[in-house]
Amino acid sequence: MRSILTTILARPVWCAVILACASAYQLQAKDISPPAGISPERVADYVHAVLDADRTIYTNQVVNRMQAKGIVSAVEHWEHENALPLPAQFLQHSGKLVAESGRGIRYRLISLWPVYQRNAPATELERRALESFAQTPDRPFTGIVSSGRKQYFQAIYSDRAISDACVKCHNSHPLSPKRDFKLNDVMGGMTITIPLD
Amino acid sequence: MTTTSLPILKAMGWGLKRKLIVSMLLVGVVPLLLGLGMAFLQGSKEIQVVSGESFQALATEAARKLDLLVAEEVARTSRIAVHPDIVRELERRRDILHASDRNPARISLAQQKTHWEARDPAAVKALTENPTALLLQAFYAGSQNESDLLLPQVVRAATKKLFVTDVEGNLFAALTTRPSFAHADSLWWKGTFNKGVGQLYIEDLHFDDQANAYVVSVSLPIMDSLRYEVVGVLHRVIDAKEFFSPATHPIRFGKTGHVMLIDSRGTVLSCPILPTGVRLSDPALIPQVTTRQPGWVTAESDGHGGTGTAIIGFAPLPETSRATNGALEIGAWHTFVWQSSDELFAPIRHLMLWMVILALVALSLLATLGYFAASRIVTPVRRLQEAARLIGRGELREPIQIHTGDELEELAVEFNRMHTQLEAAFAGLNTQVEEKTQEVQYLQKSTDQVLDAVPTPIIMIDQQDRIQYMNRASREALNTGENGWSARPLFDLLPLDQDHLQALRQNLRSVERGVPTASSHSDRERAPHVARDPLNPTVVQDSPTSRRELTIGSHLYHYEWFPLESRSGAGKRFGLVLRDTTDESRLQDQLIQAEKSGSLDVLTAGIGHELNNPLFGILGLGEAIQEEADLERAKGYAQDIVGHGRKMAAIIRDFTGVASRESKNQRVPVDITAQLEQALAIVQTSHDCLGLNVQKHYVALSAVTALPDQLRLAFLNILTNAIQAMGGRGDLWLSTEEHNGIITVKIRDNGPGIPKQHLGKVFDPFFTTKGQGEGSGLGLTVAQRLVKKFGGEIRLESPEGKGTTCVIILPADKAAVRKEEPCVPS
Repeated sequence: MRSILTTILARPVWCAVILACASAYQLQAKDISPPAGISPERVADYVHAVLDADRTIYTNQVVNRMQAKGIVSAVEHWEHENALPLPAQFLQHSGKLVAESGRGIRYRLISLWPVYQRNAPATELERRALESFAQTPDRPFTGIVSSGRKQYFQAIYSDRAISDACVKCHNSHPLSPKRDFKLNDVMGGMTITIPLD
Repeated sequence: MTTTSLPILKAMGWGLKRKLIVSMLLVGVVPLLLGLGMAFLQGSKEIQVVSGESFQALATEAARKLDLLVAEEVARTSRIAVHPDIVRELERRRDILHASDRNPARISLAQQKTHWEARDPAAVKALTENPTALLLQAFYAGSQNESDLLLPQVVRAATKKLFVTDVEGNLFAALTTRPSFAHADSLWWKGTFNKGVGQLYIEDLHFDDQANAYVVSVSLPIMDSLRYEVVGVLHRVIDAKEFFSPATHPIRFGKTGHVMLIDSRGTVLSCPILPTGVRLSDPALIPQVTTRQPGWVTAESDGHGGTGTAIIGFAPLPETSRATNGALEIGAWHTFVWQSSDELFAPIRHLMLWMVILALVALSLLATLGYFAASRIVTPVRRLQEAARLIGRGELREPIQIHTGDELEELAVEFNRMHTQLEAAFAGLNTQVEEKTQEVQYLQKSTDQVLDAVPTPIIMIDQQDRIQYMNRASREALNTGENGWSARPLFDLLPLDQDHLQALRQNLRSVERGVPTASSHSDRERAPHVARDPLNPTVVQDSPTSRRELTIGSHLYHYEWFPLESRSGAGKRFGLVLRDTTDESRLQDQLIQAEKSGSLDVLTAGIGHELNNPLFGILGLGEAIQEEADLERAKGYAQDIVGHGRKMAAIIRDFTGVASRESKNQRVPVDITAQLEQALAIVQTSHDCLGLNVQKHYVALSAVTALPDQLRLAFLNILTNAIQAMGGRGDLWLSTEEHNGIITVKIRDNGPGIPKQHLGKVFDPFFTTKGQGEGSGLGLTVAQRLVKKFGGEIRLESPEGKGTTCVIILPADKAAVRKEEPCVPS
């Protein structure tokens, strides 16, 4: 048992690749042997691209258009006000659904200036990543992290204020610690976590 | 008059005044009431809207505040949940548990559970004094270095339980010994664990036996150091009342206005009035106030046991509601803002009261002002009215004095002018009335005198047959005194038998009905001359009752009713005229007698003349026979005698025939020419007609319907008259013509004619120009009546000195054409 664990720990990257291929993309891993060798960075990139595209579509084609036409707007407490969820909430809620589906892959938004404390960076890696975005916002920050005996691959992508809705909400929210965001500012990042065991 | 008219005057004056006051009041009251009503309605509506919106805003604000309170508490609690030591401990526990299903750790866990439930001191100590528990204590006691981790006193007191479970729901660390050991099956644990994803879970209000209070709980997932998955659950049980009351209770407005926190089942979490844990009194209200959007309603109850219109503002707690029972759909918390409707509507009621008071004041002012205004208007009107009354009675002595400077003053001036003119008019009128009265009296007196002077009795009666007037003649005739007749019924006064009285009454009734008395015309014509018709003495024998005659004493009266003018409103009046015909009828009888004997004379003379000629012939022939020797010649004389005898016999037969035909009273078609010839023959026999030259021209062929003897008598009378007028010598023209069904007979003589002054009287009875014994004066009268009887006419044309033409017109009977040939003049 011990040796198995050691083996896994010694080859975390390969394990992550295999797991990611099997769970997230339903690749027929059994048919491909030996593994084709998709790096976790590549997997995280794919996932991020999909998420980012979905959210952008939602933001531009749904929220902005509806608001511009005055049909319905996006507010934080959208459930109480017959409104649309904010783009950030859209991502978080989908992330919750993905997590609840039990696939293992999880993603969430984090920030150095979170409205809710639960969205503050949880690990040193996340903290460093967010801090690195001040200089290199376009480079994802990746690394291996562990919780107890469990190991995970994390990739953190910078997240910008892609619409006025983001800026307005964060600058006016009573719990927001920073209120001078501008459009296209880096407001935080998106963490994609992939388990390696 | 004065005593009765005074109250009427007052009532009328007051009536006008009352009308004025009432109209002023109405003019004031109607808009006032309308305004008040609308103001009240509009005010109520607006106060509802304003209050509702304020309550909604307040509810929303309170919801946000409570939401922040909860969020703050969650955030504070989450500091423990993210404490690295606790996370590390729990990660370790997770790894141990995950390592194997049958490792010693699980066995020791089962033991630990048993010991904990038995309150084994070692087990208790293991769970309440382990590093995590110590951290919890530090957190609870506020002995942590970080100042913002200090629990406020209220929160600390409200926290009834605080413990941590591991990844499988077993107790990991606890502040007190109250919590049970295993929680994996509880809803809050499952909700918080959420398949390892973890989420905030706020449990709805429930009663906790161990804490002996209504509590809510906040459960936070303790995530691993990566925030990847749940490694434990931090559970905190909070006394709802203690926790929320500092936030809700201070929000008060007015005496009853307050904010309340309820959950979506309508259970009260915190309320200054209702105890925590009870539900709203009206279940129907709950769905109205627990919507996902803030709002306000006008409800029929207030949820606090009160009924009546209540205005309620409400709003959900936005953030907290997301976590209650794990999802917004399963439960939410709402604020509920309410104020007693009595208090809420008090201002408008107060306003209404004031408005009503002001309205009453305004009304009384209106009434008072109206009274004075009406008095000002009515007083001069009443003076005018009094003046008019005085004018009417002619008692106004002074001119009316009204100085109001308006139309009333002008009216008073007009009144005075009218009064002056009326007085002048009345003065003239009085004189006129006196004059007219005198005139009437004079007229009446003269009428009385005239009527008294008239020998004919005249009586006037009213509708009830009571006598109103009798002239002197009637008084004498009926033998009443000067005044004994007044107002007595006429029919009692008349000394008559029942038949006559009945006839008199019937005649009166027919006059009363306006029916013209049918017999009056013919009556006047027939009487008294009918009886004098010598050839038709009693054709129709009138009864004395139908002849409108009555006998009083020794006098015979012909009576006549006539209607009198009556004053309007009074009943009808009638007059009765009694004409004394006693002498007249006696004279008539004599005349008839004379006429009869006159006719007989003519007849006798005619017969004598007719018979004389043959008689003298016979005598002469008889004498001649005596002296004649020649037998043949004597035989010739005898033959002549026989001829004369036959002629006489014929004459006698003719006359007897007259007598026999007279008894017949039937009209037959009569040849008018034959009758004219016969009449001429009779006249020629009875008068000396030696110098008479008769010219005849008969053209008419039709017969006339008549009694032949009477027609002949008419011709006889006319011819007699003509021959007498000519003195038996001269020319006599006889002619008949027929034209358009009318037969015209003309008898013309060349006598002296009739003087103009006599022409109108020739048909009058007894009119004659002859000497005593020469004529009765009835010939033409009889002729006229007979011609009229047969539907004809008779007239005389007499240009003076050129003879007289008598024209007789008779209707032709076309059905019976004359059989005989027209006579040719002999």
